Amino acid sequence: MKSIAITSVPGFDEWREASRECLSQHIAPEDIIWKSVHTLQEDLFGDMGENAEKKKVQRNHTIPKPVLTLIKYALCHTDDSKFSLCYRVLWRVVYENKKLIQLKTDGDVIQLYAMAKAVKRDAYKMSAFLRFREVKLAGQEHFVAWYEPEHFSLEINLSFFQTRFKNMRWSILTPYRAAHWDTETLVLEDNPDSSAAPDEDRIEKYWLTYYANIFNPARIKTNAMLNQMPKKYWKNMPETSLIGDMIKQSDARVRKMISNED
Amino acid sequence: MIAYRKLSSAMHDRLIQKLEILSDAAKYDASCASGSAGKRQPGKTDKSGIGSLTGGSGICHSFTPDGRCVSLLKILMTNYCIYDCHYCINRVSSNVQRARFTVKETIDLTLNFYKRNYIEGLFLSSGIVGSPDITMESMVRIAKSLRLDHGFKGYIHLKTIPNASSELQAEAGLYADRLSINVEMPTQSSLNRYAPEKDLSNIHDSMNVLKDKIAEHKVDQTYSGKRPPRFAPGGQSTQMIIGADGSNDKTILGTSVKLYSQQKLRRVYYSAFSPIPDASDVLPLKPAPLLREHRLYQADWLLRFYGFGLDEILQDDMLDMDYDPKLSWALRNRHIFPIDLNTADKQLLLRVPGLGARTVQKILSIRRNTKLNWVDLTKMRLPLKKLKPFVKVGDYFPDIHLLDSNNFELQFKEPKQFELFSA
Repeated sequence: MKSIAITSVPGFDEWREASRECLSQHIAPEDIIWKSVHTLQEDLFGDMGENAEKKKVQRNHTIPKPVLTLIKYALCHTDDSKFSLCYRVLWRVVYENKKLIQLKTDGDVIQLYAMAKAVKRDAYKMSAFLRFREVKLAGQEHFVAWYEPEHFSLEINLSFFQTRFKNMRWSILTPYRAAHWDTETLVLEDNPDSSAAPDEDRIEKYWLTYYANIFNPARIKTNAMLNQMPKKYWKNMPETSLIGDMIKQSDARVRKMISNED
Repeated sequence: MIAYRKLSSAMHDRLIQKLEILSDAAKYDASCASGSAGKRQPGKTDKSGIGSLTGGSGICHSFTPDGRCVSLLKILMTNYCIYDCHYCINRVSSNVQRARFTVKETIDLTLNFYKRNYIEGLFLSSGIVGSPDITMESMVRIAKSLRLDHGFKGYIHLKTIPNASSELQAEAGLYADRLSINVEMPTQSSLNRYAPEKDLSNIHDSMNVLKDKIAEHKVDQTYSGKRPPRFAPGGQSTQMIIGADGSNDKTILGTSVKLYSQQKLRRVYYSAFSPIPDASDVLPLKPAPLLREHRLYQADWLLRFYGFGLDEILQDDMLDMDYDPKLSWALRNRHIFPIDLNTADKQLLLRVPGLGARTVQKILSIRRNTKLNWVDLTKMRLPLKKLKPFVKVGDYFPDIHLLDSNNFELQFKEPKQFELFSA
């Protein structure tokens, strides 16, 4: 039994190195225990893996790109079972079926797609719901956002933010990592200080005004809103503090609209 | 116009007041999409400018309690208007509060919102001040300045002003991703009654001018190998108000089919008439049911993406309210079911109630590798109850008598108290 510890998050590079090594030594998925930073402390048993016999079988397996892309997304999931699942899929792609991920009814494939999909959705929501606030740093505009993604979605969105806000200076802070952009270089920082995020912005009041007025009180569809914007995201968005009052007052507003005609 | 406690400290801000009036006035427009204009991003060496288009259907940056997506800064440049369209809250005879954004205010608001990741871009429409050309000229100035002075690469949708000159319409297309003119009513006689200054053939003429421009800019006519300048790459869209006039679904969908085929529109939006403040006497007192609007969208989708013809969808003048139009068609054509998911071609699969276009694609891809059995369907998260009587797979065949039974359709009836569509 080989034991592998992944010490970084989301851990894609470490996992890829370790998986490459394991594949080349022909170590089957059921003979590996994957550990992450979370499980590491709880583990009481020593690492037996070092003594395992190393036999080189073959190096440089070619993995189809769509498989790697899918795995890359899945590895940003917070569920630690992702490491063993991804290795199992890799193993089966190499030794069982190159087109494994096309078998949409296979248990492992379904699970891999489900994980990747959860991450994609979370990353999409981050690109949508993240809000910058403006501060002045050394006399220059700098935009700072604090955002708490459900998965390790920051890395997936970096190119989106670098493209869209290329000529803006910005910092995105998440509980596990921050990204700082100065219009040319990207700097990553682990475990940033949440108090560095500003709690005000000079334009935000206009955004709240817009949000409160663009909605039509005559057609309340709270469930449709919650499907697309579940409450777990609300903490990231200043406008959600208005929702309670908007729903409460909607009836009165509609009645006012209709009675206005006399 | 509402002011919440949190906002009250800023109540004296004039810009806040304008924003209240001019976003409130824009909310009756159903269109919010920011998609289908392709991808766009800054060049590697661009040192100024802001924004990108991600392709696909654009990002929904927030959702309001009416379930709609907030993707664009959707505002009126002004709600002053010289026209008197009865369904419109801003008609000249209405006594709503009036306001007007300056060109600079509109540009600043768009850029400031965009920099904070609130929006994908700007959706600008306007009441008509002075003349159609004067109004349109200001709108074009806003789009032009955003693009040329500020290097804005986000989304711009301009609602062009009916009766504005074709030169201004053509200029608008150089800076906007999408242009739209609302037809508002499906027939000229309804327009005569509800929007006396609007003329259907004028609207069609404007649409045709834009259609030709869009087509022209898609092909390189100089044969120089250079790409022609972009012209409204997201195409044109329009909106019809449902239930204010007496038009039936057949008339409405017939108008849509013509707009899609003749004017090459990308999207027709349907907006169920809802009560507006200070309403005109000509209008009905009750709002149109949202379910009707929903059914029209479903039918519109079937016409555009599922290969259905108008006469197949409509049995008589109105769509069936009890069942969605696809199920309704299936119930009338039971003889072609059950359909074998392992052998049927794409066109036929698209007609199975409960199978969407994406699922059909998935089935086709799975079929290439393996034969589908019932257990596979259960893994695909499909609406099995709906699907069950209409399909067969390797190890499953529906009860032969099921489709022929007298009360067969009753099992699909949606419960009346469905909150989403209560009018």
